[in-house]
Amino acid sequence: MKFLLNIFEKKIKPNFEEGGKLKVLKPLYEAIENFAFSPAARTIQAPHGRDALDVKRYMTMVIIGLLPCTIAAFYFYGLRLLPMIIVSYAAGGAVEVLFACIRKEEIQEGFLVTGLIFPLVLPPTLPLWMVAVGVMFGVFVGKELFGGTGRNVFNPAIVGRVFLALAYPTAMTTWVATGKGLFGNMFKYVNAPPAAQAVEAAKKLGEVATETANASQAWYSDIIVDGVTSATPLGGADVSAVDMFFGNVSGSLGESSALMIIAGGVFLLMTRVSNWRTVVSILGSAAVMSFALNKSNPDEYMPALNSLLAGGLLFGAFFMATDPVSGPITNAGKYGYGILIGSLAILIRNFSAFPEGVMFAILLGNIVAPILDEIVFSIRFRRLRNEG
Amino acid sequence: MPISEQMWLMLVTCFSAVFTSNILLTYFLGMCPFTSVSREVKTSVGLGLAVIFVMTATTMINWVAYHYVLEYFGLEYFRFILFIIIIAAFVQFVEMVIDRYSPRLYQGLGIFLPLITVNCAILGASLFMVIRDYSFIVTVGYGFGSSVGWTLAILAMAGIRQRLTESRIPAGLQGPGITLIIAGLMALAFIGFTGVL
Repeated sequence: MKFLLNIFEKKIKPNFEEGGKLKVLKPLYEAIENFAFSPAARTIQAPHGRDALDVKRYMTMVIIGLLPCTIAAFYFYGLRLLPMIIVSYAAGGAVEVLFACIRKEEIQEGFLVTGLIFPLVLPPTLPLWMVAVGVMFGVFVGKELFGGTGRNVFNPAIVGRVFLALAYPTAMTTWVATGKGLFGNMFKYVNAPPAAQAVEAAKKLGEVATETANASQAWYSDIIVDGVTSATPLGGADVSAVDMFFGNVSGSLGESSALMIIAGGVFLLMTRVSNWRTVVSILGSAAVMSFALNKSNPDEYMPALNSLLAGGLLFGAFFMATDPVSGPITNAGKYGYGILIGSLAILIRNFSAFPEGVMFAILLGNIVAPILDEIVFSIRFRRLRNEG
Repeated sequence: MPISEQMWLMLVTCFSAVFTSNILLTYFLGMCPFTSVSREVKTSVGLGLAVIFVMTATTMINWVAYHYVLEYFGLEYFRFILFIIIIAAFVQFVEMVIDRYSPRLYQGLGIFLPLITVNCAILGASLFMVIRDYSFIVTVGYGFGSSVGWTLAILAMAGIRQRLTESRIPAGLQGPGITLIIAGLMALAFIGFTGVL
C-alpha cells in the first residue's frame, strides 16, 4: 500500500493542489483518492489509522488489478463481455442481498471481486443464463452457506466454475478466435457459433474442440481417451510463446494475455494485497514440474515456458489462489499451498481427462489449506513448548 | 505375471486408490465416521491411523481367506459374512494386543478402534478387491492406498471444520449438514483426477 500511497501523495497530488496545473479537477482527484484510500486529510485528530487498508480498499485494489485483463478481454473478445459482467453482478448480487437481508447486516464489498473475476474465467461465448447459474451456485454454496464474506472455505468463483465445467462440459469448452488488428473485436458482439461452425473455427486454431468436450464428459463413464491431453485449448506446442504472452490465443475471457495478467498481478503484489509467497511457489513449482516433463518426453509435453503462459495458470496464480480467505494464513503454509497447486495443475493438465487443471488444483488447494495451517501451528507449538 | 510388473501395478493401484478413486470421495464409503469424528484434527488423526492399520491388514487376511478357503469349498457367496466376521475378530484381537503391550496407544485410540468394525469402507475395500480380481501383491497396495486416501480426506475435513467453528453457518445446516456439503465440494475437486490412471 505504501508504494501506491507515495505515488498518490508525491507525484499526483501536487498537480491538483492550490497553484498546481490541474487545480480545476481537484474534486475528481479527491474522488479517486477516496476510492483508493481512506483519505489522509481526515486524521487531523486522534485516533489515527496506521494503515489505509480496510476491506473496501482491499477489494478496490483487486478490481484495479483486474482492469488490465478486463481491457484485454474487451479487445480480444468484444462487447459480449459487458452483458456477462452485468449478469454476473446482478445474479450473484441478488443472492448476496438476499442473505444480507436475512442476516440483517450490511452488504459486503467482497462480492465486487467475485462478480468481476467470475466472467473473466469463462469461455467468451457462454450463454448468459449459464453465467447466472454458475455465479449463483458459487456465491450460494461456496460462500453464503459458510457464513458469508471472510468465512468461506472455498473460493466462490472457483466453485462456480468447476460446477459449470462439470455440468455443461460442451459449452464450457467452446472457444472462439481472438480479435486482431488495431481494435480487435472491441466493437463486435461475438455470438456463440453454431456447433458446426465452432468445430471449424476450432480446427482453424489447430484444436479439436469436440474432442476436448468429449474428454470432459468422460468422467461420467470412466472412459479415458488416450491422447486427449494433446488436443487442448491450451494450444500446446503449436502456438508460440510470444503469441501466448501477448494474448493471441483463444481461451477464457481474462486469461488470454499473459502480459496484462502479469501487469495487474504485479500491481497487487506491490500493494501487498496478494502475497508473493503463494504466487512464486505456484509458478516455480509449475515451471519445475513442466520442465521435468518436457525433458523426459519433448514430443508429448510442451516446453516449460509455454506451459506457464498457457491456459489459466497465470490468472489462477495471481488472482484466484491469492485469495486471502480461502488460502492458508501462515507463511509456511502459503509455500506448501502454492507448491501443491502448481504441481497439481501441471499433473492434471497433462495426465487427466481434463485439458485444464488449474481450477481443480486451486479447489484442492482450498481443501488442504486449513490442515496446512494446522500443521504449521502444531510445529510452532511444539517448538515453543520445547524452548519453555 | 512377473513380480516386477506386479510391484509396478501395486504402486499404480495404490496411487489411484488415494487420488483417482478415493474410497471416500468417489465411492462415498465410510461416511458415518467421516461426518461424526471429523470435528477435531487430533481425533481424526487417531482414527485415520487406526483405519490405515486395520484396512491394510484385513484386506490381506480376507484375500487369503477368500482364495484359499471360500473358493476351495465353492462358498464364494458367503464372503459378506466371512469378511465381516474376520474384520470384527481382527479389530478385537488388535484391541487386546494393544491394550496388553501399549496401554498408552490404547488410551489414545480410545473408542475409535471398536468403531472401525462398523466402518463400511473397510468392508468395501475387501469386496472391491474380490470384484476387481486383484492379486495378493496388488491387494496390499490397494488396501493401503484406500486407507491413506480415506485418512487424507478426513484430515482435510477436520481442518476445514475446525476453521468453521467461528463461522455463522445457517442454523439448519450446522453439524452434519455443512459437513456433507463440504464433502460434496471436495468430491467435485477430486473429479479433476479422473483419467490420471
